[in-house]
Amino acid sequence: MELYNLKYVMDALAYSLYAFLVGGLLLGLHRKIVARIQGRPGPPILQYILHTLKFYFKEITFPITAGNPLYLLIALMSITVWMSALYLGVVFNTSLLILMGLYVLQKIVEHGCGLSSGSPYGKLGGVRSVFSAAAEVPLFTVMGIIYLLTKSLIIEDIIRYQEIHGPIIFQLPFAAFAFFVLLLSKAPNSPFAIVKDKSIVSGYLTEHFGILESLIMIADGIAWFVLLWIFLAVFIGPLVVSDPLMTLLGMVVLTSLISLICALTPLLTPNHSVMIQILISALALVDLLHRIFMG
Amino acid sequence: MFLNITSVAGEFYGYIPFGDIVLYVTEFSAISFVIALFFTLVVYFTKPEKQLESQIGGFDKLNYVSLEELKIRRLMAILCGICTAFAMLTGDLFNYALFLAVIGITNIGIVSAVKKEWVLNAAYYYGIIAMISTLPLFGGAALILAKTGTLSILELAGKHQDLLFQKMLYAAGMVGETGVAPFYAAKAEMFRAPGAPYILMIHLSSLLIVIRTAEILLTI
Repeated sequence: MELYNLKYVMDALAYSLYAFLVGGLLLGLHRKIVARIQGRPGPPILQYILHTLKFYFKEITFPITAGNPLYLLIALMSITVWMSALYLGVVFNTSLLILMGLYVLQKIVEHGCGLSSGSPYGKLGGVRSVFSAAAEVPLFTVMGIIYLLTKSLIIEDIIRYQEIHGPIIFQLPFAAFAFFVLLLSKAPNSPFAIVKDKSIVSGYLTEHFGILESLIMIADGIAWFVLLWIFLAVFIGPLVVSDPLMTLLGMVVLTSLISLICALTPLLTPNHSVMIQILISALALVDLLHRIFMG
Repeated sequence: MFLNITSVAGEFYGYIPFGDIVLYVTEFSAISFVIALFFTLVVYFTKPEKQLESQIGGFDKLNYVSLEELKIRRLMAILCGICTAFAMLTGDLFNYALFLAVIGITNIGIVSAVKKEWVLNAAYYYGIIAMISTLPLFGGAALILAKTGTLSILELAGKHQDLLFQKMLYAAGMVGETGVAPFYAAKAEMFRAPGAPYILMIHLSSLLIVIRTAEILLTI
């Protein structure tokens, strides 16, 4: 029995490693595509993973301004949040509501990172993260729209619904678009990436370096994998997620599409970024109300 | 009876009769409850960060949060965390509205000890919105009671009544009470106040409450 338990733990850790490697390579691919479109050679696709390893072995000190243990815990929280999302969502196909709860915890991590360091740049990144919470509002509306259609928020049920009725993306194109904008806002160098704007150094990550930054980068790699998987599972369904190779292909296509948008659009100012996200929220809400009233 | 609950919040683990207050535990509420309590502990153990202010023609100044200020803000943050945790478990719409109102008050309390004019102004505007929002929030709950004869989420999950207007009122109350979009403009300045872990609790409580409200509105 104990050996079985050990096997489950090993399997879980191996899957986390797989998610990080795939997520890290996709983020590397994202940088490469952006660079090539902009006429630069760009770093190798492995660069994200190499950076993560490099930071992992770097020396670490604590800034005198830092509020401990939050400063230290927040990096561990980041990795906990995304590993939980990986197991609950991708492995156990639990409720979309729980995944959204874990997603909003990412906002707390960003906010906590910025605030706990005591750095003005980190703080500004954290405050911008609060502003950009407008990106989460369409999420709740999207959940409502999906629930109206499938009568369930459990991912397993949503996938089963698509087995019978076909991909949801054709039935709920605006909900898929709103969710896609959320993915876009999470991508590096995206028009909505105001929290990591270079004008505020590295935003909320400014004072987190060494192993702490490495942990956050591992979490970001897993986050990218999980978010892409959720989009594919919820809007395209078993056509893609039932086969690991098709899932990988779907993730590469989505990442390439996001990279194309990131390469061709400038970073928006915080005001414009929030205004556009609120506009999308309002449209998603109108879509939800329309579906409620029209039955 | 529990079909709506399990299809929205995951596995139903059972309920805890606590006098006339009934708490129930689902996959979602158990995870949210643990998260809220975990952050409450983090808030208790974390020392506030010190902000470094650069000065013209002199050394940089390190801003501390005084012990007196720290005590009241920590107390308010812990109360906020406890209310958030139990708001995740409650199975009664009225209790949930009460928890929301207390969270609004503690959120203002967390920043009210900061002696900075812009922070106090933001807290004041947020306070006004929170007070106004109690009307649709409790009004929504009262209308649900009037129409269905119960405020229990477990009971309401089994009934199939048209509660669209009441739900919209309840949602509007929650939006104002937690200060999320479009009201967060009044609240955002509060996040710039010094004192990392306490401010974080304002944000955490709002986000968890928004998700819990989405769960309740989809369930009933």
